[in-house]
Order: sequence, then C-alpha cells, then structure tokens
Amino acid sequence: MQLRLPLRPIRRVHAHCDVPCGVYDPEQARIEAESCYKIIEKYHGSTDELFRARCILAKEERAELAKHHIDVLWSDYFKPEHVEKFPDLQQTCWKAAKAASKVKQTTDLEAAKDLLSLIDKIDDMWKATGGPEKTRLNGRPS
Amino acid sequence: MPVERGRRRPLAASLVRGAALGAGLAAAGAVRRWVDVVEVHGGSMAPALLAGDWLVIERRTYERRGPRVGEVVLAPDPREPSRELVKRVAAVDPVAGLIELRGDAPDASTDSRDFGAVPTASVRWRAVARYWPADRVGWLRPPGAG
Repeated sequence: MQLRLPLRPIRRVHAHCDVPCGVYDPEQARIEAESCYKIIEKYHGSTDELFRARCILAKEERAELAKHHIDVLWSDYFKPEHVEKFPDLQQTCWKAAKAASKVKQTTDLEAAKDLLSLIDKIDDMWKATGGPEKTRLNGRPS
Repeated sequence: MPVERGRRRPLAASLVRGAALGAGLAAAGAVRRWVDVVEVHGGSMAPALLAGDWLVIERRTYERRGPRVGEVVLAPDPREPSRELVKRVAAVDPVAGLIELRGDAPDASTDSRDFGAVPTASVRWRAVARYWPADRVGWLRPPGAG
C-alpha cells in the first residue's frame, strides 16, 4: 500500500509538455538530403542496373527521413512567435517538405540541390531563433 | 465476526454515528466545491511551480470575474479534456471569450501556442498558494511581482 500523507492532494494538475526533450537541429535533415544528392550522382555515374536499383531504393528512404525531420522542425520546434519574426517560415517549411517528395520521386540532381538550399534556409531561421543554444545540449558541435 | 459485532451495537448509536459521518462528509464536500488541493506534475511552469508542488486552488473568484493576465489557472487540456493543465494566463480576449495559456518555461511547455486559446468558461479554478514543500510555502504571484 502506498504511504500517503494526509495533506497530500489526490487531484493532479499537469504543467504539461508533450515531451520535454526539446532537441532539434536542421543538420539532421541536411545529412539525409546530402545522402540523396550523393546517391543521385552515383546513380547517374553507373551503368550497373542492380547498383542503380539500390541507389533508388536508398534515395527514397533517405528522402523520406529528410522530410520527416523537416516536419518535426516545422510542427514542433517553430512557434507562432518565430512565424512573426519570419513571415515566410511556413512557406519555406512547406516548400522543403515538397522538395523532399520531389527528391523521392525523381533522380534529378537539381531537386536535391533545391532541397539542400531550402534546408539551409530553415537552418538560418533555427539559428536566428536561438536554436543552437536552446535546442542542443552544448550548442551545435563545430 | 463483523456481523456479530454489528448485532451487539445499539441501533441508535449506529444511526447517530452515521448521521455525524454523513454531515461531516457533506460539509467537506461543500468546501471541496470551492477549495481543493492539487499536486503539480511536469515542469512547464518552472521555476514558479515545480513537479511535486502541492497547491491550494479555489473557484470562487472566477464566478465573480474573469481570469486576469499573470494568474495561475487550471484548465482542461483541449486535446485531452480528462487531463487538467496548470498554466499561466498570458492574454485575455474578453470579446471572443478566449484565454491564452502559457507555461513559465516556454521552451518546455505545450500550451496555447500549440493548441490555441481556450474558452474562458473552461477556466474555473485559480491556483492561490503553495503549501508544500515547506521551504517554498507562499502565495502564488505573477512573475516579476516578487
């Protein structure tokens, strides 16, 4: 039986946070997007059909992960006050998620470049809203 | 054995005890409608409130007037109404009848920034004071008011 002090409340109230992990970094998305870029290069440089098939498979996985990491930043890290500061924040995240889909669908190197540059834009907004100090344990490793 | 003892106890005494107990429970129940105690879970109200703090809450004030900015209030989580949240009032829109809730630790708080403003009518309890832990007993004041 649980020992209960007579004054201890039964009713609970929650100073709630979905998950107080709070660790975010666009670098996660960037690494997946760089993988896509390199894989597309290798795909075009090869005539081995088996290798090319593997490239496509791996690229689709990586692009999906990049999209996931973009979604997490968009829906969890960024807050309304950040949108006030950067009015094109929503548009940029949306474009980046769409660019990730494009990379998944095609073997177009330009699509991968486009995705990388959009992730860099998100990275700038993350930095400007205190991301490295606020959301990494010891800032972003240099 | 309880049956045996029950038989031996005079009926009148049982009735008196029962009535006293009932009256006591009813009185406690009446007070309970206006005043209650709660335990804080989670850290989104740090440093004002910490997990494990015990608070006195009351619901008389908001029968007279609406919540004010800076007050610590209870409200059902709009996304999961069985969960009661404790947050601070960040803004009040009396025309729309909406209240913005915010945790004192904004980087570790899920609040109106995520689920939007909540109806004023859903905010009924005001947190008044902390009575545990012993070294932090005191009234709850808006941040910066000392």
